[in-house]
Amino acid sequence: MAEKSQPSANYSTWPVILALSIVSAPLVLMYAYLFIDTITDTAAGSLIPDSFTLRHWRFLWETPAGKPNIWLVTLNTLIFATSVTTVIVLVSSMAGYVLSRLNVPGRGFFLAGVMVLHAFPSVTLIIAIFIVLQMIGLYNSLIGVILVKAAIDLPLGIWLMKGFYDTVPWEIEMAGVVDGASRFRVWRSLVLPQVRPGIMAVGLFSFLTAWSEFILPQVLAPGSKVQVLSVYLSALIADDNNFDFGTFKAVGVFYIIPVLIVYALFHKYLMNIYGGGSKG
Amino acid sequence: MNTSRMLGLVMIAPAAIMILLFFLMPVVLTGVFSMTNMTTATGISGGAYQIAPHSLNDLKSTMPDIAEQMAQPRYAIDEAGMKAVEGLGLDAGIATELRAKHIGDVFQTRREAERMIKGLDQRPSTPDVKKISEQFNRSVVNSRFSSKEELFSALDTLGFKLTDAQKDSVADVTYTGWNWTTENFSRIASSPDMARVLFNTLLYVALVLVLFNTAYAMLLMIWTHYMPSAPATIFRSIWLLPRITPVVIYVLMWKWLAWDTGFISVLMGKFGYPPKNYMLDNAYNAWVFVVLINGFIGASMGMLVFSSALKAIPKSQFFASEVDGASRWQQIRYIILPQMRWPILFVTCYQTLSLLASFNEILLSTRGGPGKATEVWSLAAYHTALNNYAGNLEYGLGAAMALVLVVIGIVLSLGYLRIFNYGTLVSRPLIED
Repeated sequence: MAEKSQPSANYSTWPVILALSIVSAPLVLMYAYLFIDTITDTAAGSLIPDSFTLRHWRFLWETPAGKPNIWLVTLNTLIFATSVTTVIVLVSSMAGYVLSRLNVPGRGFFLAGVMVLHAFPSVTLIIAIFIVLQMIGLYNSLIGVILVKAAIDLPLGIWLMKGFYDTVPWEIEMAGVVDGASRFRVWRSLVLPQVRPGIMAVGLFSFLTAWSEFILPQVLAPGSKVQVLSVYLSALIADDNNFDFGTFKAVGVFYIIPVLIVYALFHKYLMNIYGGGSKG
Repeated sequence: MNTSRMLGLVMIAPAAIMILLFFLMPVVLTGVFSMTNMTTATGISGGAYQIAPHSLNDLKSTMPDIAEQMAQPRYAIDEAGMKAVEGLGLDAGIATELRAKHIGDVFQTRREAERMIKGLDQRPSTPDVKKISEQFNRSVVNSRFSSKEELFSALDTLGFKLTDAQKDSVADVTYTGWNWTTENFSRIASSPDMARVLFNTLLYVALVLVLFNTAYAMLLMIWTHYMPSAPATIFRSIWLLPRITPVVIYVLMWKWLAWDTGFISVLMGKFGYPPKNYMLDNAYNAWVFVVLINGFIGASMGMLVFSSALKAIPKSQFFASEVDGASRWQQIRYIILPQMRWPILFVTCYQTLSLLASFNEILLSTRGGPGKATEVWSLAAYHTALNNYAGNLEYGLGAAMALVLVVIGIVLSLGYLRIFNYGTLVSRPLIED
């Protein structure tokens, strides 16, 4: 067992672990205090919390003046993230199949386009998108920002789905076609079940990026009726009159918990995507 | 018509439409908007024509007498005025006579209009004359016209005799909408602020890319390679946290670290240093934090890419080198690093573009400050077009700045397509029907 998990028994590992522990310390510290500070009070000038409190979590049951209700904001975020995920999964599972298997004109061109767009820094288009949404009346609406976010993440989704379809053996489809099924039927009943891990990965990834998205809702849908958690939290932090890190962090923990749960349960699916080049 | 082609077109249509609407159209429109002087003041739809006091001032230099006339009210006997007179409850004969004799007349001054009213056969009393004349007071100042034609016809009814050239210059100064212009690009090229922003951008991309996305990611890869798999997994998960954490929370944690009541201040306070905002205290510190904040996110991608490249190296090479007595450094130098050329190129290419365009982290942490010390190109475009303290958002100029990034983005990503050998990725379908 020891030989298997360790590249070599000839070298000692503790200096490496020590070095990595030291450089990781700031991160661990920041995350540890993120959670600790939400349920404790700390005297000014001290680093060690001295009393337990739930007052930082007040925002859950009382809405401060001028701020939208946290549950409305959470609902908006949920609608935003699930809609984006649904659109991306539906559209990219169809388009990915076409690019992987079907003979359509301009297929190579489209695939190249998807690759270029995947690398392309789409956030630079935000000014034009902002003006367009104002012109067509989708500014400050969830639908507008959902469509924009879905479109921006679509190239990655198509690209990943195409990769998953590429691994499905042709024999499955040939058997289906020989048995007289239409190509659509073959896709729907035979191929789609084979790429379930791909759909999971694309879906989870889309959900996480949509849940975390800040700049698009901030620019395209800042209104209090359609606010999402990222915009809510950043407005809270930007408000100089009520500067209270305890509350900020409590909102932050409230906001990050779904992300951590998804990551803990499904990190196996996500690892491939993060390694394959997501933006950031 | 074969079925797979038909099915393919139907299935790819949603993706094609979305990409067309939200990628290609914005790319084109960024170009279009960059050629305009759109701002909050001009609005984004077409403008209107408004003879505002400042536009009269503009006119004074070229056509002083016409500007003078426009500033004064005129008295036009028109249908709207007649209705108002009828509503005054005066003797009905006055209105009837006025309509019969004078409808369509225009008087240059109040006095002339009142003289005419006094001269009517019905002989209205002096207070009535004042009331009546008031109904016909027509001024072009501050009235809005939705098109050139409306503006001109209003000027004609009020009896301004203008040549076509004069009309055009009136239309020019009173137009409130946006115009086509190439000024945005000359402003970008000549402004010293822009040069500073360009320098910041290059510095930012270079520092984050070299220090974290490649060098530090490589270090993480090597460190986690030389440790048992359990701690390696833990450390990889820790270093992935910045990437999966929503950016607002992630930057909040850094703010807490650096704020004047935050961790560093309190810690340094124990050694007698006064508390201060370590992030925004001076430009040097701001840069350190901006690079750290982005670097900690960026390191994880390199770490994963390099680690998976490392897994592809046959284990036997490591065993053989150990038997031959190679040190760790020699393993790294002669086995690992030579295999990393492509992964490094991939990470560099990929991250250059995303660093050039992303401004989330800087916006949330320093807002480009202190002063404009950490303002990078994409953030400057955002500040110009979408959010600034002055309140007048210059969409046109912002679009021109974004266009620079769009062009760089297209050129680089097309280039990457060539480097990473796209030709091998498309294979012919095996079922033809």
